[in-house]
Amino acid sequence: MSNDVALLDLRLRRRSMIGYTVGMAVYAFVIVALYPSFRNDTSLNQFTENGSTVAALFGANGPLTTPAGWLNANMYANFVPLVVLLLTIGYGGSCLAGQDEDGTLGLVATLPLSRRRIVLEKTATMSLQAVPVCLVTMLCVLLGQGFDLTVPLTGLVGVTIGTVLLGIEFGALAMLIGAVTGSRGAAVGLASTIAAAAYLISSLAPVVPWLHPARFASPFFYAVGDGQLTDGLSVPDAAVLLAVAAALTGACLAAFDHLDVH
Amino acid sequence: MTTPVVVVDGLTKRFGVRRGVSNVSFEIMPGEVFGFLGPNGAGKSTTIRLLLGLYRPDAGRMQVFGLDPIGDGVAVRRRVGYLPGELALYPRLTGRQHLDRFAHVRGLSDLGLRDELVERFSAELDRPVRALSKGNRQKIGLVLAFMHRPDLLVLDEPTSGLDPLLQDEFQNLIRETVADGRTVFLSSHELDEVQRLVDRLAIIKDGSIVVTDTVEGLRRAAPRTIQFRFAAAVDPAPFAALDRVRVLHCADGRISLSVTGSVAPLLRAAAVLDPVDVTARPADLDELFLSYYRATPGDAP
Repeated sequence: MSNDVALLDLRLRRRSMIGYTVGMAVYAFVIVALYPSFRNDTSLNQFTENGSTVAALFGANGPLTTPAGWLNANMYANFVPLVVLLLTIGYGGSCLAGQDEDGTLGLVATLPLSRRRIVLEKTATMSLQAVPVCLVTMLCVLLGQGFDLTVPLTGLVGVTIGTVLLGIEFGALAMLIGAVTGSRGAAVGLASTIAAAAYLISSLAPVVPWLHPARFASPFFYAVGDGQLTDGLSVPDAAVLLAVAAALTGACLAAFDHLDVH
Repeated sequence: MTTPVVVVDGLTKRFGVRRGVSNVSFEIMPGEVFGFLGPNGAGKSTTIRLLLGLYRPDAGRMQVFGLDPIGDGVAVRRRVGYLPGELALYPRLTGRQHLDRFAHVRGLSDLGLRDELVERFSAELDRPVRALSKGNRQKIGLVLAFMHRPDLLVLDEPTSGLDPLLQDEFQNLIRETVADGRTVFLSSHELDEVQRLVDRLAIIKDGSIVVTDTVEGLRRAAPRTIQFRFAAAVDPAPFAALDRVRVLHCADGRISLSVTGSVAPLLRAAAVLDPVDVTARPADLDELFLSYYRATPGDAP
């Protein structure tokens, strides 16, 4: 089976993927390399003491001088998901609705390809958007062993997979909104807003009692917000992320089948 | 009996109250060039997109090669070559990258025709599309539409941006295509091009078909102007009484008449009055098309 639609879109997104990956590698390396300078700075932990909501807003919970606390506060609870979501929501909004607005989707939709095939190939491309950034971050963290920054490998792999799945889930949401509305702006805007709300719920839930039960409604909780960096990604957490992504993709297949392509 | 390549029956697609197409019906037979004319916004591109399965219709029936363009869309599109009215290519890719990728999707192993078309239209393949003029982009669009030797070509304003030499080359290509037994559905603004190329045509206005006929049929129906000069003043009444004859002007022994259909009854009526001179202007198809454009749907011009 050929995968020309996926290859075509990967070709078109090549520059942004490389740019984000290189940028993330530099950022992750700096964070890792800075750790020895902060590991004994106990004053840093005051930032998150007593359940500071401001710290929680930035994704920082618990002691920051431990390897996991340092990586979570500087990368996995905020920056890595943000970059991954920029890529997957950006592509999710553009691959159907955006390309329809540009007129290029019409070129593809008049080829002998089913709409189902087009959506599935674009979903695969969207999923791949998340991988290089997460992989390069993981590699940089592995290098961190040379900087006294050691986290369990299962945790590192778990949070990496969780972040990829988180990106896929919101990318699929952007694709669905794009397929329903035919508008790139609506797709990117709505998916980003929902992601921001989900991030707030997951990051504030540990310190805001009335939000605590709502954490189960946030994909961030299942991906990065439940101790994945130390404990790994549990099968139920992964299953929730996969199931939601699959449901969104199914809805996108149905919606795209009814979309008027220009 | 020959089966039509395209059957459209009562096709309706609305975008709001005023836009879209309503109750459009026509058939295209194998091996013919079917013209599709109409002013901007009349519904030409909407009808084409419906036929290709890009739009979902609100009502009506369509068949291409006896198949449903939506349910059997893959099979239909495998046999169709399409050039959109507003061709959008990927700006950063070159023409060659477009052709290679699309040929691969179509499973095209013999690239001979593609290369021949590239040479014929002098298509520029090695620069990014964003650096190309409209005409050069259009050439790539034409190659994309023709390169897999489709049984049905759906061409929406195909010569837009092409210079006159290439317009001639395009017309040759269309003639070769139908000589090969294949079918062309040609939407165009170029009335000259339509008159030279198409066998039958439909005119669409405000989303509805106002006429479907052969070019020859339309030409027969088109009014010709005939002027007689007599030695003395004549009474216009015998002329006005003739069927399909209209008196345009009558004074000083000169009478101008508009005639549709056969001129024989008119010539007989004039002959008994001993005309001194006669001039006739041939049917003006451009004017006829424009009168259809101006007419309200359902009315003859």
